Amino acid sequence: MNDEPLPWRAGLTVADVLREREFVFPLLVVSIDGVHVPRDAFAATAVPDGAVVVVMHLMSGG
Amino acid sequence: MGSATTTELAPSGVEGTIPVTVDGQALEVKPGTTVLEAARMLKISIPTLCHHPAVEAYGACRMCMTEIEVRGKKRMVTACNFPIREPTAIFTESEATKKQRRGVLSMMLARWPKVPVIQSLAGRYGVQNPGYQHPLRNEAPDACILCGLCVKACSEMVWEDVIAFAGRGAKRHVTMPFGKQSERCTGCGTCAYICPTGAIKVTDEKNNPVDPARIRKYGFRLTKEMATLDDSQCKMRRVGTAHLVEIMDAYDLLPTHNYKFGKHARIAEIASPVWTSLVRQNVPDGCWVGCQMSCAKAVDDFVPRTGPYQGKKVLVDGPEYETVASCGSNIGVFDPHDIIELNFYCDTYGIDTISFGTACAFAMECYEAGVLDKRKTGGLDLKFGNGPAALELLHHMSRGEGFGVIVGQGIRQMKRIFAERFGGDPRFLQDIGMEAKGLEYSEYVTKESLAQQAGYAMAQKGPQHDEAWLIFMDMVNKQLPTFEKKAEALYYFPMWRTWFGLMGLCKLPWNDVEPEDNATRPEPNKVPGHVEGYENFVSGMMGGEYTIQDILKMSERVYNFQRVFSIRMGHGRREDDRGPYRAMGPVTAEEYESRAERYDGQLKELLKVDPAGRSTAEKMALLRRYREEQYEGVLDAVYKRRGWTRNGTPTPETLKGLGIDYPWVVEVVKARMAEEGSA
Repeated sequence: MNDEPLPWRAGLTVADVLREREFVFPLLVVSIDGVHVPRDAFAATAVPDGAVVVVMHLMSGG
Repeated sequence: MGSATTTELAPSGVEGTIPVTVDGQALEVKPGTTVLEAARMLKISIPTLCHHPAVEAYGACRMCMTEIEVRGKKRMVTACNFPIREPTAIFTESEATKKQRRGVLSMMLARWPKVPVIQSLAGRYGVQNPGYQHPLRNEAPDACILCGLCVKACSEMVWEDVIAFAGRGAKRHVTMPFGKQSERCTGCGTCAYICPTGAIKVTDEKNNPVDPARIRKYGFRLTKEMATLDDSQCKMRRVGTAHLVEIMDAYDLLPTHNYKFGKHARIAEIASPVWTSLVRQNVPDGCWVGCQMSCAKAVDDFVPRTGPYQGKKVLVDGPEYETVASCGSNIGVFDPHDIIELNFYCDTYGIDTISFGTACAFAMECYEAGVLDKRKTGGLDLKFGNGPAALELLHHMSRGEGFGVIVGQGIRQMKRIFAERFGGDPRFLQDIGMEAKGLEYSEYVTKESLAQQAGYAMAQKGPQHDEAWLIFMDMVNKQLPTFEKKAEALYYFPMWRTWFGLMGLCKLPWNDVEPEDNATRPEPNKVPGHVEGYENFVSGMMGGEYTIQDILKMSERVYNFQRVFSIRMGHGRREDDRGPYRAMGPVTAEEYESRAERYDGQLKELLKVDPAGRSTAEKMALLRRYREEQYEGVLDAVYKRRGWTRNGTPTPETLKGLGIDYPWVVEVVKARMAEEGSA
């Protein structure tokens, strides 16, 4: 994920990854192997073994 | 039309959904889905007049009356706000449905015969001009049809409630209080945009834009985004930028104890729910006419414990993120009351909360490090976390008394004074004194983001993040792995954000709410949908077609002028673009050891040095040499990208390319280049 190794386990979802990494920022853009994952599908989207996960944080604040 | 009834509807087995048919077509919907939403999911049209997705449906116009069947019983409902709770058959074109709509349209057509939207619907349902004279007949094509959308939009989207219905029955009409122009109307134009007939009009008498409709179109998009998306995004209308407090803590970016650390165990005491409960004035703040972001907040009936307003109820404007971090975590204060009181007195005395908090944090670290003591501070026990002492220091500053006179001069002067008068180690003071170009740092820990270190220290006015905030792109997303990519970001974002200043616009609506489709657009971190909006804004205002390249060029001219002015004033050198080491890495052993796993890992991976058996001091020195070299590499790359010399001087060729190679400007840069030996 984001060019860093991400330990994989069966049933791992996008929501699990974000929670475990403390990625709590609301404006996230996630893709798996180049395919965009909508925010309302994070909990239901499984991360396949060997997948390339990109979690892009946008910006906000003053 | 389909003939399915609810007796034939069987659950699909999909958990949490309800089987529905619309004109015989089956679908599954979530509980609470309205009849209108269910029909639209199947692209089946139900006419509406008072419905808009940006405001709460209220079924006033009755145009959407639709026949449904539940448990074998048929009834008429308003489709826009009737929630589906159990298996339902919907009949959008049944005879009963059409009869109801014809009746509504017949009355409307009698009263407003020339309003296009009513004529169109009447045609769709075969309604002719009724054979009676309506006593309130209004033949204006832009007559108000009393749908109430403007009233709902002003209340729910703008939060102003400036317009409302008045009168009953035949006298019902839309108006402002007492029928007069309200001072609270910001002229945002939301009511005019949402009006289905054009009854409300916006006239542009002051700025004379070339194409006001073009500007309003994009302005309304932003208004709609704020009304419908903010609660699931940044919650700017609820709590403002203070929503960032716990987020920055989670990413180890919240300045704590003079930027030593990026998080704190007591974060919950100053997290956004605390501020949400304390700020009372969730209304438009008026800082920008017509802005629905309304992110400035206020605390009502606050009672200070100290100072000239002690014991009296006061109104406090804030706090927002920077104040919570500067007057809170960065000085180790986690009592919201102390933070609000510091906020109030900074405002009252005309002192910037960021500069005060960062300066106070520096003084506190010096106190704890032994550079200062109570004798030197005039009795103030300036330990981190001592909120009352911070407040007393602030009062001293305002009165020009004692130690407050020294702190009031800012960190750059404090570093000199502490070394000259108090025997402080100049190098230590330089390392921990968080200022550049004489301005105190704003509130982000930048140690792990090389791009943001440069974004801060290279900013023209000093280390403010309003030129570029690149921490997530660089540190978390890993989007800027090379010097060149960092340099490109440090070209694009400072030029883009400088433009907001040139136009007199606030930057927050650009990226503190994002369009619904932003995530699927290329380079979503630039919020391309909003960039297009700004292109249309400037084009609509001035005429012609302006692109993002034109916008960047406008900024680049000013940005280079600013640099030339700095040079003319004796600044604008490479050394002016360097910050203190605390912004780049761990200054003290305490900092290094608190994140030893991170730093040891970097020694192994980046420097190919085995940290085992090395002292903390030795490891810190190795890391520091590496990080300082990296910073110089970024400076070189950014200067090159901007068309400046290695000392940060715009070249005559760059000035010529921008069309600002006036003789007196070229003279300034040539003199500096001669001085630096690059002429």
